[in-house]
Amino acid sequence: MAESSAEITFKKETVSKLLSSFFKDEKTKVGADAVLLMAEMLHVFVQEAAQRTIKQAEAEDCDRMDIEHFEKILPQLLLDF
Amino acid sequence: MLSTTSCLANVNCREKMPTAMDEEERKLQRLKAAVHYTVGRLCQSIGEDHQKEFSRQVIAAIAETTFRQCDIFAKDLEAFARHAKRSTVSVEDVKLTARRSTALANFIQRKSEEIASANQEQRDTRKKIAGKRKNTEMV
Repeated sequence: MAESSAEITFKKETVSKLLSSFFKDEKTKVGADAVLLMAEMLHVFVQEAAQRTIKQAEAEDCDRMDIEHFEKILPQLLLDF
Repeated sequence: MLSTTSCLANVNCREKMPTAMDEEERKLQRLKAAVHYTVGRLCQSIGEDHQKEFSRQVIAAIAETTFRQCDIFAKDLEAFARHAKRSTVSVEDVKLTARRSTALANFIQRKSEEIASANQEQRDTRKKIAGKRKNTEMV
């Protein structure tokens, strides 16, 4: 049985290392709960990107999501986040 | 025997000492790959729900966008923590990054409450176990 999209999450080690790699000050750390919450943020971000792309493809009567569908929804996605 | 041309083409050439930059670059590539992996699985699952398929190009684009969005999130989080004179990013900082959309802000608020209550449950369970141990020892 395929796992539901709700069960597929970013590993907290990945999220923690990812955020740390972008910090300007090496002393900046991320609290454990904050890491978990950021994993949720990223999960929502990817879900939104995917679902909006699907809607765009459906609006254009396409069976498959292609790059142009993603490109069309990208500006609003970035503005909403 | 290594010829000069194959040495230049070969990334693992023994002549080249790994610099700190290479290590940083490799670390970044590993992180990108980790993001790409989870994004791919998520997209596949969501696509299956709608009986549609994501092209590999789209998955790569979503992964790249997510990676770059992390940069924006991280810089914001760091700025918020610093503004509050902290060096550790907190849950409150994360909530601030979700401020642009009411639906998102509410969702993140609910998730933070779930995390907080899960922590409380863990603490209560540990207390119970510690309490039981104490009682058996006192006998």
